[in-house]
Amino acid sequence: MQIKVLAFAQAREQLGFGEQSVECAAEETPRAILRRIAPGFDVSPVRVAVNRRFADWDQPVGQAFELAVISPVSGG
Amino acid sequence: MTNHIEFTCTPIVAPASVLLAREVGACVEFHGVVREMENKQSIAGLFYEAYEPMAKAMLAQIFAELAAFHPCEEIYFVHRLDWVPVGETSLYLRVLAKHRGEAFGLATRIIERLKADVPIWKRP
Repeated sequence: MQIKVLAFAQAREQLGFGEQSVECAAEETPRAILRRIAPGFDVSPVRVAVNRRFADWDQPVGQAFELAVISPVSGG
Repeated sequence: MTNHIEFTCTPIVAPASVLLAREVGACVEFHGVVREMENKQSIAGLFYEAYEPMAKAMLAQIFAELAAFHPCEEIYFVHRLDWVPVGETSLYLRVLAKHRGEAFGLATRIIERLKADVPIWKRP
C-alpha cells in the first residue's frame, strides 16, 4: 500500500520535502517509515498525525492514507 | 451552537454584528495582530502556513469540547495564511454567549488550545 507523507514548517526544511508517497505495510509504524525515508531525522521534538489526528509514533499505520510530521505549532 | 472556521490569504474583514438570539448578552471579539518585534528583531511581517484539513477538524473538535464547559451561541474563527504584514490581523475570533464569563472564558481557552495543538505555523 501507499501512504502520503506530509511535512510542514521546520520539519519540511529538515526533511527536504513537503509531500511524498511512500510504499509501506499496514503493520509499519510512523517511526519506522520516517526512519526508512529519512534515516537521520530526529522525531523526538515533533509530533505525528495519522489521517489528520495526532497519533503515536509507535502505533502501526494500518490502512491510513496520510501521515504528517507536525513541528511545534505557533498559530495566532 | 454554530461555528464558522475559515482560513484566508486576504485581509480579514470582521463579520457584521448579528444578533443570533435574544439571550446573547456578551460578544467578545479578539484580533491577534502581527507585532513589529519578534525575538528582539524588527520584522516586516510573518508568514503563516497550516495543515488546513487537520486544523479545521481539530478546531471543530476543540470548539465542541470547550463549549460543553463554556456554553455559547456562536464561535466565529478566521486565521490568515501566507504573508501578513505588521499591523494586520492574523487571527480573528468572536464568541457570542449569554454571559461575559462564558464568552471571555471560551475565547481564552480557544486561543490557548490553538497555540498548543492546532497545526498552524508562522515564521518571519
